[in-house]
Amino acid sequence: MGIRRDWLLWSLVGFLLTSHVSRLTAQDAPAKKVQASLARVFGDGALADTVKVDDAPVLRVERADSLLGYAVVRNVKGKDQPITFLVAVDPGDHLKDVDILVYREPYGGEVAYDSWRKQFRGKTAQDPMEVGKDIRSISGATISVNSVTVAVRKAVADLTAWHAAGKLQ
Amino acid sequence: MNLIVRLGAVALALVPLAQLSAQDEAGKLTIGGYGEVHYSNSTGPDTPGLVNVKRFVIYAGYAFNDRITLHSELELEDTKIEGGQSGGEVALEQAYLDYRFSNAFTLRTGLLLPPIGIINETHEPPSFNGVERPDFDNDVIPTTWRDIGVGAVGQIPGVNGLSYRVFLVNGLKAEGFTAEQGIREGRQEGKEASFANPSFTGRVEYAQAGLKVGGSFWYGGTANQVPGLGTGAFDAPVLVVMGDARYDNGPFMLRAVAGTIEVYDADKINAVYGQGVGRRIAGGYVEGGYNLLGFLAPKSSQRLNAFVRYDHYDTQAKAAAGTPDDAALARRITTFGLTYKPLWNVAFKADYQLCDNQAGVGENEVLALGVGYQF
Repeated sequence: MGIRRDWLLWSLVGFLLTSHVSRLTAQDAPAKKVQASLARVFGDGALADTVKVDDAPVLRVERADSLLGYAVVRNVKGKDQPITFLVAVDPGDHLKDVDILVYREPYGGEVAYDSWRKQFRGKTAQDPMEVGKDIRSISGATISVNSVTVAVRKAVADLTAWHAAGKLQ
Repeated sequence: MNLIVRLGAVALALVPLAQLSAQDEAGKLTIGGYGEVHYSNSTGPDTPGLVNVKRFVIYAGYAFNDRITLHSELELEDTKIEGGQSGGEVALEQAYLDYRFSNAFTLRTGLLLPPIGIINETHEPPSFNGVERPDFDNDVIPTTWRDIGVGAVGQIPGVNGLSYRVFLVNGLKAEGFTAEQGIREGRQEGKEASFANPSFTGRVEYAQAGLKVGGSFWYGGTANQVPGLGTGAFDAPVLVVMGDARYDNGPFMLRAVAGTIEVYDADKINAVYGQGVGRRIAGGYVEGGYNLLGFLAPKSSQRLNAFVRYDHYDTQAKAAAGTPDDAALARRITTFGLTYKPLWNVAFKADYQLCDNQAGVGENEVLALGVGYQF
């Protein structure tokens, strides 16, 4: 009886600890999703290596020694869950595409639709990228639309600044 | 004794976890909310202006892991409830678990929102023009409509922009149906709700940047095994069919909802309860708006929406057999006003309503001011 109770108690402790550890790592995008996204944005055969800029990983994308561009994978909070997205730019700092890698919220998943994401293509850090201006909203997805737009603007600004400072070598 | 010591050890093991989740760097626990404060003044000699904290809602969400999440809203209406006084409500507005298997399939269980019309699911005050929700979304679609059930939501694979939600939920009770507000008080809102009449509700929606159109339904019995109405699961059935559209191209906004509610055994329901509920409840509204700052201050990211909305509905679009048709229930409400949004999630509102009906009695005008927020 006593042994059985021990077993139950320590199982409980173990479960709580391990479940907590798994929670800490829950927001990463699976590597194969990132790969698939890069292949979609840059075309087949695109290879990425990681450059560290101020401890943040930036993906440098090449095919047969020619530079295709750069990408970052980031999280932004929607209403209550992180939205994991990828922003890719070409070597001239023009936004190639935005990709929603993991969407976890009950509402607002429309930000993953191509009709919404394609509004960002060709933008640069000089463009406003503001909801209601050059980015149209989607009714019922207001929170996600606003948070992803702000986060994409920040990502493009970062990549452009790092590129200009020569940090993406 | 030994057991107490061990329980103590478990408790100690839990302490650091509790602290971690309270700080919650990873954002697993989320507190949010929305609220609205209203001032309204009807025309007439005996109608002083009223101020009210219409809604104060606290949202709590928790991610158990990457796929299982909890979403809940606890609502306080009219600031407080007090014994022996009317008004005021403390209510759980939503409390459901989502289990996300893929983009095409999330299992949803708990107290959830039937996906009917626009306002029922998206009712945060900055999301709509006008101090009060459209009257159609009170007297016809009984917002905030919530019931307990289980179902699925997701994107329909292969068609970019198409999504669905479908649920099995507890049913309405015919006991609450009225001539003025149709099925509104037939909602059980998850309070020890009878499951005598399981009901189905769902929606298909197509969305693009700036555009969303949807169609939704509800079907289920309302008899609740009451003598005279029937004991079958689908006795005294009610069918709701609604269509809605939203268009937003930056400065221009347009939205519309229209549909019908069929109360097939309205005559039997009225024979039992005598409330004169309509055999058919039908109508809709259309609203157009324009962001004046689009040309007054094109550089500004704030908004000042001028809007006008026209509600047209009749809760006795077809009166039940044996019930006289009350023309005063055929309502026409014109609302025009301004919504100032310094941020997308804060709104200051002012509007004026002209309330009219087919009988031409009890016509009314209402001035309303309000503030609303969400976070």
